[in-house]
Amino acid sequence: MTEDQRAVSSKHAFYNNPKNRALIYQLLLLIGIGYFFYTIVSNTMANMEARGIKSGFGFLQATSGFDILMSLIPFDATYSYGRTFVVGLLNTILVSIIGIILATIIGFLIGVAHFSPNWLIKKLATAYVETFRNIPLLLQVFFWYFAVLAALPTAARDSVSIGEAVFLNVKGLFIPKLIGESGSSIVYLSIAVALIAILFLRRWAKKRQELTGAQFPVLWTGLGIFFGLPLLATLITGIPFGLEYPIMGRFSFDGGITVIPELMALALALSIYTGAFIAEAVRAGIQAVPHGQTEAARSLGMKESKIMSLIVVPQAMRVITPLLNSEYQSLVKNSTLATAIGYPDLFTVFVGTTLNQTGQAIEIVFMTMAVYFVINMIISFVMNRFNKSTQITAR
Amino acid sequence: MQEFKVLPDLPAPVKTVGPVAWLKNNLFSSWLNGLATIVVVAILAKLLPGLLDWLFFSANWTGTSQDACTKEGACWVFINSWSKQFFYGSYPDGQLWRINLVLAMLVGIITLSIFISKEYRNKIVVPLFLLLPFIGLIILDGSLIGLQVVSTDLWGGFTLNVLLAAASIIVAFPLGALWALGRRSEMPLARSISIILIEFFRGVPVLALFFMGSVMLPLFFPEGTTVDKLVRVWIVLVLFMSGYMAEVFRGGFQAIPKGQYEAADAIGLGYWQKNALIIFPQVIKVSMPNILATFVMLFKNTTFLLIIGIFEMLSTAQTALTNSNWLGGHSTEAYLFVGLVFWVCCYSMSLIATSIERKLNTDHRN
Repeated sequence: MTEDQRAVSSKHAFYNNPKNRALIYQLLLLIGIGYFFYTIVSNTMANMEARGIKSGFGFLQATSGFDILMSLIPFDATYSYGRTFVVGLLNTILVSIIGIILATIIGFLIGVAHFSPNWLIKKLATAYVETFRNIPLLLQVFFWYFAVLAALPTAARDSVSIGEAVFLNVKGLFIPKLIGESGSSIVYLSIAVALIAILFLRRWAKKRQELTGAQFPVLWTGLGIFFGLPLLATLITGIPFGLEYPIMGRFSFDGGITVIPELMALALALSIYTGAFIAEAVRAGIQAVPHGQTEAARSLGMKESKIMSLIVVPQAMRVITPLLNSEYQSLVKNSTLATAIGYPDLFTVFVGTTLNQTGQAIEIVFMTMAVYFVINMIISFVMNRFNKSTQITAR
Repeated sequence: MQEFKVLPDLPAPVKTVGPVAWLKNNLFSSWLNGLATIVVVAILAKLLPGLLDWLFFSANWTGTSQDACTKEGACWVFINSWSKQFFYGSYPDGQLWRINLVLAMLVGIITLSIFISKEYRNKIVVPLFLLLPFIGLIILDGSLIGLQVVSTDLWGGFTLNVLLAAASIIVAFPLGALWALGRRSEMPLARSISIILIEFFRGVPVLALFFMGSVMLPLFFPEGTTVDKLVRVWIVLVLFMSGYMAEVFRGGFQAIPKGQYEAADAIGLGYWQKNALIIFPQVIKVSMPNILATFVMLFKNTTFLLIIGIFEMLSTAQTALTNSNWLGGHSTEAYLFVGLVFWVCCYSMSLIATSIERKLNTDHRN
């Protein structure tokens, strides 16, 4: 500001100065919000006292006294409420990861199918997207749980089975369990070694290409190392693995891994629903790549597969990644629908049973909200890192 | 000298036009494609007849009770007998005309918006749209206009889904715009409060918000006040929706060229004048497809209210399925029907969104 401009502005009335105005508005806002919170807090205190609700986080150490349908860590009624939180959280993470992986696969397949030269496949892809995107998710969860999975055989001996190893009935999906014997740690170690080797291989190949222009088949060598090294280790150590098959008992199956129908229904519904949205994102991403890019690549004489992997996909990913980010986040948030069919996720266990038993609504609801917030922040962080690698590097 | 005669036109080769060419280009352009076509057709041929048979040919259409469902196929009698509950909930029989009246008003306004000239459209139809939910509430409740009072416990079915979605978006619209403006504001306090509000209501599962509404909100009000369950739900929906609308509007604000802001400043418009007269109309135009998409999401999410015991359409279906007279396992029919109703509504809205998008899309990309 120069000297005479300041002279002009000083002639204005005090309330016409934008800076003063901003200050006054914000002061009013602060007072309003302060009053709002004061009322809420004092009302809540009074209400809680009147209803005899305790506050604080002491309840987390108390014995829970209820059992949970499925848990990834040891749990029974003698464990604490704090443990119910962890069990629920792990179940939420499990269904989210399964959902995200399946939804991504479905989404990319259907999204690419939209560009198929085959009319029938193209129409089926559109029909898939328009059907599942426009039906409420909760309805889809119910459909899979109450209509489809409930129609499976009820008795263990009638189960649908694949090669007497995998069984499917109304009580769930029973699959063999991989059991590592002595020497299996060497195989696990070899997987880690393979991953590190691939990382170094990629770095070396990139450097060589920058220096000499010679390309190295990183993908195939990488795949070879990834599968070859563990395979070699397995053979050398004498196949230190055994499969524990589910054995048909009197009423159900013993042994193996049991996937409860609640988890199946929820994972199916989440991945099919979110898959439809991801398919739309993929379609939008590919469509956003100008046609001139493909044409230019063709006129340079590139192979169609190279055009896809070097020209179209990297540019499409710029549009797709931010959309994927929000789809993954809404998948995690939607996994709370577990509570409608009784899958023991964080919401069902903690906000459902634990809240009912302890009555400490405020602590529990806020803890749960914070968890979903943190999960979404982690997804956002990972996707933003990935996004950065796909963006144009400006000079 | 021989006269020059034009040979008659030959028909185009079969291979380039007509159904054969279409088949070749679209279904059998390569051997891989042909294989895919055959596989898809084979799967469809295996599934479709059974499905159609179950849905239509051997389905049971007439009757009043479960015993009428004697044939193999779907028992549409179930849907038929419960359709009143599906759409109107437990609203008293003699008063159903009120719901129909509100519905007729909605249809009337939509028809009006198609036929009225462009000049008056924004001046008449938009205010009517904004007023309708409130008029609807007054008619449905009845206490203000001397009709029989119908308690909100009896409201339900699809009416409730539509009503809650409409009543929420109308408040969320200005509130979301305000939060979006706050987020763009230069006042640090207003900005940080807007960011906290938006990120909170977007980042938390809507179910958690509903629980907050039904378990925690009663604690926030002064002792002794009871707030109607539907009002609490409505507050939650409004706040949740405002968060999403704010982000939609923010995208719109960013899409408006900076020159528009500068031009408005240059002709001496104040902050509110600038936003209300210059910026916001353009924001609404560019974000219309996203607004519709957000509304579709809200509309679908009204089914989540089942979990806190509100009798919207899906929970009516769940209740009907556990009714002792109808324990024949009609869940597939019920879900298909409810799904179809939602699908028709959501799909038509997404079609409108696409057509607006196409109209607005003026760039010259292939």
